Amino acid sequence: MRKAATKSIKLVLITSVLASCAPQKDQQYNEDKQRIFMRADSTAAYTEVTDNYSQGHSGGGMGSALLWFMAFRHLGGGFGYANNSLHPQSVAGTNAAKAAAYQAQRGGFGRSAASTTRSSYGS
Amino acid sequence: MQIKKLRIDPQWQSRLESIGYGYHTMDGIPYWIDDYYYEIRNRDADLIYNATNELWQMCLDAVEYIIKNKRYQHFHIPPFMVPHIERTWNDDEPSIYGRFDFAYDSVHGKLKMLEFNADTPTSLFETSIVQWYWKNHYFPQLTDQFNGVHEQLIKSWTELKPYLKGDILHFSCAKETLEDLTNVEYLRDTALQAGIKTKLIYIDDIGWTGNSFVDIEGEPILSIFKLYPWEWMTREEFAVHIINDPNQAQWIEPSWKMLLSNKAILPILWELFPNHPHLLAAYVNEPAHLKHFVKKPILSREGANIEMYYDKQMIYHTEGEYGEEGYIYQELANLHHEDTGFSIIGSWIIGQEACGISFRESDMPITTDQSRFIPHIIRH
Repeated sequence: MRKAATKSIKLVLITSVLASCAPQKDQQYNEDKQRIFMRADSTAAYTEVTDNYSQGHSGGGMGSALLWFMAFRHLGGGFGYANNSLHPQSVAGTNAAKAAAYQAQRGGFGRSAASTTRSSYGS
Repeated sequence: MQIKKLRIDPQWQSRLESIGYGYHTMDGIPYWIDDYYYEIRNRDADLIYNATNELWQMCLDAVEYIIKNKRYQHFHIPPFMVPHIERTWNDDEPSIYGRFDFAYDSVHGKLKMLEFNADTPTSLFETSIVQWYWKNHYFPQLTDQFNGVHEQLIKSWTELKPYLKGDILHFSCAKETLEDLTNVEYLRDTALQAGIKTKLIYIDDIGWTGNSFVDIEGEPILSIFKLYPWEWMTREEFAVHIINDPNQAQWIEPSWKMLLSNKAILPILWELFPNHPHLLAAYVNEPAHLKHFVKKPILSREGANIEMYYDKQMIYHTEGEYGEEGYIYQELANLHHEDTGFSIIGSWIIGQEACGISFRESDMPITTDQSRFIPHIIRH
């Protein structure tokens, strides 16, 4: 039976995203701000988005959770998920597949969610 | 099984947020309860574990029975989806999870299935991670928890990996919902730890090229986990592409789960397993012999549009937008009641094994999206 008393939990994705969003004391820069760079493609150059990720937050706490949410905001037009001030050159890179992605029809799923105001579409 | 109270940790909110749990409070009202909890006994956990495994097998038998006998008439599933459901069942397309909701009378040891959230169960992250961290904060020693969810997820993804189509498993949910995104990202985290390559795509960003579903970068989607109800997908514009997709993309949960997430499964289970100790009597039509019962829409979510009758008089009801597809009638169950409210137990089946529980508490005997999450411990 799966009742575990010696569980050792490791969260790879969630921990790394939170860590990348929350300012850390040992990486101080410019009045304790952590510098944050993002790109939406591995062939693209980075854009610094530090200012977007430090507004009103002192690190950790609800700021982390919201920043995590913000990190996956949709950029629109097939550009992927990133902060919406990301420079276009940091989005497309040299990935030709992204250009082709424009040709796909989108928005064929999701309209039922748009017509409700629930906090979750699960059960 | 009983509620116990604690002196609250004044830092409880930031403690939860530090592990990525951002929806502990909704509209100013706590959804997560930090200062009281359920203490259960080992034998309670054993009962729930065994019942969950048994019900899961019964559900699989019921799916086989429905497909073999074409018993789709009360499910109101669009006819064009039936061949897809049958194909995914016959191909053994994998399921990763589901959550049974139980009413539990701990005094008499009676555990009754209220319903099976087989398609888009949520509260996974708080069950697996948040309540485990909560236990380690307040009860670092001499207690246990019925919670092997995290290990079982990684084990199940590892077992499913050879059967997934393509190199990448996509994960999807609707935009602008932190709760669903957290659940999806948690699942993706466990898939990554099982060695699976993953990508996130919001459900409305999925593309259709004419011969393939594609992600935001134009890569074909061959396997995809979606936290988005099948009954919504099948009435949206891309529904036709699900059945015409030349790649036969592998959707998780698979479409055969539409038979189990629909409350029309409850009368079928009662028909196949009459008087089973973990089932409540359930019928498609209002039965004359039942005086105390609940009328549920076959597709309602989070306790919406429920009507509760006692002596054939309606005593509670909830509002909502469901009911168009029809209702079922289920014998009224006794919910566990404490000073703090009425509780139900959510019991997770992951892969093929029961592995953890959660408690949801409400002020009235209907569990809704406003119901509170209560952590638990097993006291040795």
